Amino acid sequence: MATSHGRWLVPGVSMCGINGIFAYHYAANPIDREELARSRDDMASRGPDGKGQWTSDDERVGFGHRRLSIIDLSEAASQPMISSDGKLVVTFNGEIYNYRELRKELEAKGRTFQSNSDTEILLYLYAEKGDAMVHDLRGMFAFAIWDAEKRKVFLARDPYGIKPLYYADDGWTFRFASQVKSLLAGGKVSRDPEPAGQVGFYLWGSVPEPFTSYRAIRAVPAGSTVVVDRIGAHEPKRYHSIAAAYREAEDQNSRAPRSIDGQAQIREALLDSVKHHLVADVPVGAFLSAGIDSGALVGLMRDAGQSDIQTVTLSFEEFKGRAEDEALLAAVVARTYGTRHTTRVVTEREFQADLPDILEAMDQPSIDGINTWFVSKAAKELGLKVAVSGLGGDELFGGYPSFREIPVWAARMAMPSRIPFLGRAIRKALFASGLDRRFNSPKAAGFVEYAGTYSGAYLLRRGLFMPWELEEVLDPETVHSGLRRLKPLMMVETELTPRPKSSFAKVAALEASLYMRNQLLRDTDWASMAHGLEVRVPLVDAVLLRSTASQRMSDPERGSKMSLALAPRTPLPETITKRSKTGFTTPIGDWLKRGGGEIKYRSVSSLSDTGCHWSRRWAYGVASAPVAHA
Amino acid sequence: MSGLRILALVTDAFGGNGGIARYNQDLMSAFATSARVREICVLPRQGSLGHQALPQKVLQARASAARLAFSTQAIARAALDGPFDIVFCGHIYMSPIAAAISKFLKKPMWLQLHGIDAWQPRGGRLARTATESAALVTAVSRFTRSRFLRWADIAPERVRVLPNTFEPSFTAGPKPEYLLDRLNIHGRRVILTVSRLTASEQYKGHDRIIAALPAIKERIADVVYVIAGDGDDRERLKKMAKAAGVEDITLFAGHVPERELPGYLRLADVFAMPSTGEGFGIVYLEAAACGLPVIAGDRDGSVDALADGAIGTLIDPEDAPQLVDAVCNMLAGRGRQAQPTSHDRFRAGNFNTHVDNLLENFL
Repeated sequence: MATSHGRWLVPGVSMCGINGIFAYHYAANPIDREELARSRDDMASRGPDGKGQWTSDDERVGFGHRRLSIIDLSEAASQPMISSDGKLVVTFNGEIYNYRELRKELEAKGRTFQSNSDTEILLYLYAEKGDAMVHDLRGMFAFAIWDAEKRKVFLARDPYGIKPLYYADDGWTFRFASQVKSLLAGGKVSRDPEPAGQVGFYLWGSVPEPFTSYRAIRAVPAGSTVVVDRIGAHEPKRYHSIAAAYREAEDQNSRAPRSIDGQAQIREALLDSVKHHLVADVPVGAFLSAGIDSGALVGLMRDAGQSDIQTVTLSFEEFKGRAEDEALLAAVVARTYGTRHTTRVVTEREFQADLPDILEAMDQPSIDGINTWFVSKAAKELGLKVAVSGLGGDELFGGYPSFREIPVWAARMAMPSRIPFLGRAIRKALFASGLDRRFNSPKAAGFVEYAGTYSGAYLLRRGLFMPWELEEVLDPETVHSGLRRLKPLMMVETELTPRPKSSFAKVAALEASLYMRNQLLRDTDWASMAHGLEVRVPLVDAVLLRSTASQRMSDPERGSKMSLALAPRTPLPETITKRSKTGFTTPIGDWLKRGGGEIKYRSVSSLSDTGCHWSRRWAYGVASAPVAHA
Repeated sequence: MSGLRILALVTDAFGGNGGIARYNQDLMSAFATSARVREICVLPRQGSLGHQALPQKVLQARASAARLAFSTQAIARAALDGPFDIVFCGHIYMSPIAAAISKFLKKPMWLQLHGIDAWQPRGGRLARTATESAALVTAVSRFTRSRFLRWADIAPERVRVLPNTFEPSFTAGPKPEYLLDRLNIHGRRVILTVSRLTASEQYKGHDRIIAALPAIKERIADVVYVIAGDGDDRERLKKMAKAAGVEDITLFAGHVPERELPGYLRLADVFAMPSTGEGFGIVYLEAAACGLPVIAGDRDGSVDALADGAIGTLIDPEDAPQLVDAVCNMLAGRGRQAQPTSHDRFRAGNFNTHVDNLLENFL
């Protein structure tokens, strides 16, 4: 084996971009090293501090790696990493938070480590357990392991899909990378558009996995593994399901209801997650809004023993004096927990100036991510390399209106939606007559047709464009083909399998498996990585999910945000807990009205309507921007 | 006795003619060489076995040309000659009956795709659903796989590539004197195309070469273009050659029996077929195996047959100057030489091993 024997990584430094090529078919030519390097170096922003490449002696497989040094590691941190016996090679992006426990277990089994690296853990855990290793990992990760003996590549992605991983298999050669655009940059992956990706983007505001904007490229689904052997890529195998975690907790509750103090258990689980997410020898900062999630996390960071915390809040001129302005309340939280706090003001001029870079960094079209772009930029300016985010709190503790609305809609509309053709007839009549435009939302026309099931109601709640509106922004053939391949309602239904019984669990599973996964986590990845910042999300953790699921479902109080607010030893002040929810927003709507730089939408008449939500215009503009299509 | 029993519904196999029959013969033979397979029962629509010997483990029923008779026979065999473990469907046109049998037997269907037939959806919803029900689809090229996946709603991981293979009788050798005599082309430099000449397959690229001949002749004075193969498009091509003023250097050799094909290939100095509609194109491999430089188009399955250019030269088939340059360079000995063994990857050994691997994973 040709080697680039890296020495060792220290924990908490593996944030990077990974890629690889495997010419598995006998008819395929050996891999092209230049292509491997092109694809790898397209991810320079993910890993500006170093690069590594490994190819097998027979040139049938090669891995690449771009590294971001969180602390100075010089050559010691180089990847891909090869096992001491030369049989395994890994390229890894992410963090394994339980690497210490795993190391102890492996050492007890006689494994000898030559480093403190969590990357090395992956090699030996795979050697010990094979594909089943993923069940033991706690963290955010995307990695590939070459098993020289079995001549197979094993890819895995963390349970929630925090770290991205995409692949393309043309029938002869398999390619993977952390970014869609990087696969294209290699020059050998087709750019044929994927109608399901295009349609999915307009339906949801993000491209729903496993689809991407390109037919040849798919995402390794969150919580899944993919094996590639001598006949090619096998269908992804799911090893983690959020719906299943809730369902198991329900079954357990029905067998033996828990009687211990729920709040204490939730606090303990939250603190455990936060402690695990602080594993690093570098200062860990935090994004701080005026909401409960980020504030409680900062309090828990304190409880976990972090004394020096740098917090950063975004503020916009346009929001001054309005409920959306987070600066004042965030400062209150910062004072409560004694952090070094910075409020960073973003102006329209800065937004317009950054817009080309934002579109360039956006790996796939998205209607979100601007906020994370600027808060990551601010964190980077403060010298941070790692920041904690409260992302995931709404999905875990029922913070969205969907937790109230969807169960009510599904119950009330169950009967009408079952009457054959009624819903469709109403919607068509409203749409054809133009009456639908009199409603506050174009979704209203489809209420009878869709709201009677959880999947339909979820589409109404989270949908950007409705299926019947798609031909306003896409050609009819793309819409037809895209809907056929995407099957939006079935896609939603899949995330309810196995089906949890409680309405809370159903909505929580949908929000975490669809909105959070395809939109929030993906946007956080590209927008933070563009600034060389690693964002950690302690509320997006499979262990936390499982250990609190019973309590959160069985007791409405425990399932609410108050439970999170009360978790720190010093609970969040009432000014925060009693504030009405605004979300983490930006004034893009106002900015778009006044020009919007590269974002063009006026060619579509419905997008110029005064009542049109800005996110629809943004979606059209982003999808149409040439730079967004690599 | 253990091992898999395969029910194979095919257009033609042993005793048949043409590329698909050849492919099916290779595939059935590969099944037979696999230790996992006990028996293959082949039901063809066409072809007469005659005296052709079948490989061990292969049984072939008498052909039933009529669709209804074929379907009836297939259903009867499935019901009465079982049990079967795999239903193999040798052509996408047959997928409805094969899928029905697969469903009836509760056994997985393996669907084979060849070329242009699989590039667009054909038939109604039933045909489409039948196609998409396949547990495994093998396509002869990445191009055919990609075109199929463009319209078929099926997990891409279920669609694999199983390229054509070629016979060991194709080897390099001197130009056969008897063919030089027959065509009266001693001392001439020869461009060769081998294919059927059918009006429905005008994509092959004869027209493009004929149109390029005047320019080629200017640079290579002793050039001659030999068209091997026959069909209903021959007269049109003749007229075209006359109109272009190259009828004297465009020779129609007519139908070439399979046994003479290696000789024809050795006769040539360059094999050119700038096609736009190849599912794969075995003939490129046969030409390469006979030591010829090969020119093909870069818009179809030819890219696979030439292994992305490792076996021959890929050109834009619609770019006439590129074709002229490629042909002239090859005839002048200035073309990029492919590795003389680069086509070996497509020999039967690799094919058979891959079929065995597919069988292992299929079940």
